[in-house]
Amino acid sequence: MGLQDLYAKYHQEVQFLSIYIREAHPVDGWWFGKGPMSLLLKLSRSKVATDIYDPVSLDERRAVAGQCQDALQYGIRTYVDDMDDSVNKAYAAWPTRLYLIGVDGRVEYAAGLGPWDFSPAKLERAIEVYLKEITV
Amino acid sequence: MALISNRQEATTWQKKYDAHAPRVGDFAPDFELLDNNGENLVRLSNFRGEKPVALIFGSFT
Repeated sequence: MGLQDLYAKYHQEVQFLSIYIREAHPVDGWWFGKGPMSLLLKLSRSKVATDIYDPVSLDERRAVAGQCQDALQYGIRTYVDDMDDSVNKAYAAWPTRLYLIGVDGRVEYAAGLGPWDFSPAKLERAIEVYLKEITV
Repeated sequence: MALISNRQEATTWQKKYDAHAPRVGDFAPDFELLDNNGENLVRLSNFRGEKPVALIFGSFT
């Protein structure tokens, strides 16, 4: 199950917030636009971009976040972290990470570091368990 | 060499901030953000008592 499916299934019971953070593999950083990773991305038909430079202003960051939202089409509104990466740092979210926050404001599920533990399936199990708990 | 350097930088960043990241049972750090159009302010704590929240962090690359 992908994030799109997860959103479609649970968006009435769970608020989904997609948060765009600092680029993981920009052209001017740890670039995946050449070599084996480039080939793997092509073969997997991944929607991730390989021609993006790391934004240097909030306007640039918002523009890339919009491109990302259009390309990935999760159907989830994208919010943009500030240039000081404050939310990213608070959640140690870079390059990608998933959390579930309960109605009491406490963390119900915290994925391990990305990208290794980026698993919509694990998030789905956490949502299922949590929704059962709060409806009992 | 650049690949090794980039990987080391990423690992260092993750270790530094993950040490203080919220764990299960902790209160989630509050934040306020605008969407990609600079609109629709969202505050995490506004959902407290209302709905659980799934946070999905990522970028385009």
